[in-house]
Amino acid sequence: MDTALQILINGLSTGAVYGLFALGYTLVFSVLGVINFAHGAVFTLGAYLTYLLLGGAVGANGLLAGLQLPFTLPFWAALPLAGLLTALVSLLVEATAFRPLRRRRAEPLLYLITSLGAGVILVNLLQILLGAEGYSLPTTALGSLPITLAIGGAQVRSVQLVLLLVAALVLLVLSLWLEGSRGGKALQAVSEDPTTARLLGIDSDAMIRLAFAVSGFLAGIAGGLVGLSLSISGPYFGISYGLKALGVLVLGGLGSVPGAVLAGLIVGLAEALVPAEWSGFRDAIAYAFLFAVLLLRPQGLLGRPQSTKV
Amino acid sequence: MAAADGVSLGNGVARLRASAGGWALSSLIHHGRRVGRGGSGVLLSTALLLPLLTACSSRQDADSAAGALPIGAVIALTGNASVIGQDQRIGLELAEAAFAAGAPALKLRLEDGGSDEGTATNAFRSLIAGEVVALIGPSLSQQAFAVDPIADRAGIPVIGPSNTADGIPEIGPFVARVSAPVSQVAPLSIAAALRLNPKIRRSAVFFAQDDAYSTAESKIFQKALSARNLAPVAVQKTSVSDTDFQNQITDTLRRNPDLIVISALPSDGGNLVRQLRELGFQGTIVAGNGMNSPNLYPICQRFCDGLLIAQAYSPEMATPVNRAFVAAYGKARGGAVPPQFSAQAFAAYQVLAETLRSLQASMPKGSSLTALPRPELRRRLNTALLRGRFETPLGQIRFSPEGEVIQNDFHVARVRMNPDGRSGRFQLLPAGPQAETTPAP
Repeated sequence: MDTALQILINGLSTGAVYGLFALGYTLVFSVLGVINFAHGAVFTLGAYLTYLLLGGAVGANGLLAGLQLPFTLPFWAALPLAGLLTALVSLLVEATAFRPLRRRRAEPLLYLITSLGAGVILVNLLQILLGAEGYSLPTTALGSLPITLAIGGAQVRSVQLVLLLVAALVLLVLSLWLEGSRGGKALQAVSEDPTTARLLGIDSDAMIRLAFAVSGFLAGIAGGLVGLSLSISGPYFGISYGLKALGVLVLGGLGSVPGAVLAGLIVGLAEALVPAEWSGFRDAIAYAFLFAVLLLRPQGLLGRPQSTKV
Repeated sequence: MAAADGVSLGNGVARLRASAGGWALSSLIHHGRRVGRGGSGVLLSTALLLPLLTACSSRQDADSAAGALPIGAVIALTGNASVIGQDQRIGLELAEAAFAAGAPALKLRLEDGGSDEGTATNAFRSLIAGEVVALIGPSLSQQAFAVDPIADRAGIPVIGPSNTADGIPEIGPFVARVSAPVSQVAPLSIAAALRLNPKIRRSAVFFAQDDAYSTAESKIFQKALSARNLAPVAVQKTSVSDTDFQNQITDTLRRNPDLIVISALPSDGGNLVRQLRELGFQGTIVAGNGMNSPNLYPICQRFCDGLLIAQAYSPEMATPVNRAFVAAYGKARGGAVPPQFSAQAFAAYQVLAETLRSLQASMPKGSSLTALPRPELRRRLNTALLRGRFETPLGQIRFSPEGEVIQNDFHVARVRMNPDGRSGRFQLLPAGPQAETTPAP
């Protein structure tokens, strides 16, 4: 029973992060119809920014060796601030890797290449400036919260619960904003039909920038949460999360916000349920599961079936 | 045959690069007048990039022109193993400076081998095309099995600075290493753990199954544990790219081990140690050679405290060469103590440099090693290397005919973290009743 509870909490917290990450892909896909391959790099940047804002020092091997900010923020301030900073970086990615192509009505494939290039540049910059060492966020980041909590006989890392709660809160706020605010509804309108939305007076370009900003914010938050829970293993650690989140995006249904959340939770739980002795094949099992679902339901769990006019 | 092919390929590549820049310039002049604004921008970018490539490839010509013999080094500066590569880089740079004076002149050519076989392969091929005299690297045993055969076929001596899996020197006659094999070093830390806590009864093992070094070392650990009636109650397989070990830890802790033995790299291993401690494991943790780096501290922080790691190097060894190495390292790194990976990288460069110097000294007066055909020079270097004895920061070392390092001095260290939880040191344990010196094979 205690093991089952641990697995459940592990799975839900991991899945919540996947969902947050995949939502960032979903938002951009919904307005542009393309994948932003720089999203993983922005996620990585979020983890590093959270580390620095929590008072972490840069190691000895980057150009900024020894750098430490002259202040330390509590986790509850560092995380959203890191998210805001990554939102700004995401806007920069949009301005450099997407907008010029959009103005030239370029083929969708080209967006993949330019966003991949932007991601590679960002990751390499991180390495040059901060080095390739791994970092863990300070063990005191959560203040006086005990490292583990005993719940129903199971020892659960409190950081897992924090991760789950913060991710759930962010998802809730995002959902309320999308459904209940003018900006959210305008974003949904642009994702439905950009031309009609423009005719109705909605500034599509502004909505696209908004999508990138929110996407970047989500990536930064997800990066900070993963950094807190699992450490930052180097500038390239976002790559595997990026690939996993792409799978989550497809599983949930391209462009479906609730689909991304549901798929994230499912993938997180599926990974957690993999027996310990098979953990080396966890990724393969997750993708096999995705493959099986898509065979039965090509549009994903909550995606809309694609119809072709004849 | 293979060596000649490598040389001709290298010359061909150099000529192609040299001509590509000229081709690009003439193309720009010819086509620039005919294409529109966007197209000329593309051509201009291409023409600007190609001379950069030409400049890079002309580096080998500059080295040769100056009479410096290039020694290539391929280490992991990116990827999961980059924390190892960064330690090695410092050791190599210190060695280059230490052996800068004398004849023949030597030049270090460093390439990033990444943490995967593909990147290391490209780096090796690039240096082979650049006509290096010898190669140092790669960082990982996993990579060595892929790239060492390439160097061996090209007849280029390659020295492994940190490849400890079994079977590396056996790859070929041009392959050697200064890093003692796991079969010699790993069991020492088990012995030390049992000396510190004779009440240990149950053990568990974690290892990264997709890494050759981790797999090889774990077999040695498991054999050592079984020999002491401590056969593991759990053997957990992980991956070098894993960051979340909670499932494996939960499964392991249910079986109540009091000793956990880990074979992993610093990134994944450090995370594993942290999560083990956070989930309540209070017993002894033994870590393998892959985690033998102070770059572990930022990852597991205060949870690194108490880790036991066998060492093929001691910064406290009171030999003149080690004192000089420690002093140079401290000067370069703000008083820090050198880690094993830096010392081994230094030793790898040292054995090549000293062998080349002794070969030069044995040449007839007025002649130079640089005048020898490169394949002949490499053959002589390899032969002399395997016969030499070297006083290195690791102690005195020599090589078996197969290229295996013969080293007498080993140690076990316990990590001691400072109160800030961010820095620490490797505290050498006193030699036990079964002294930590392994007789030379």
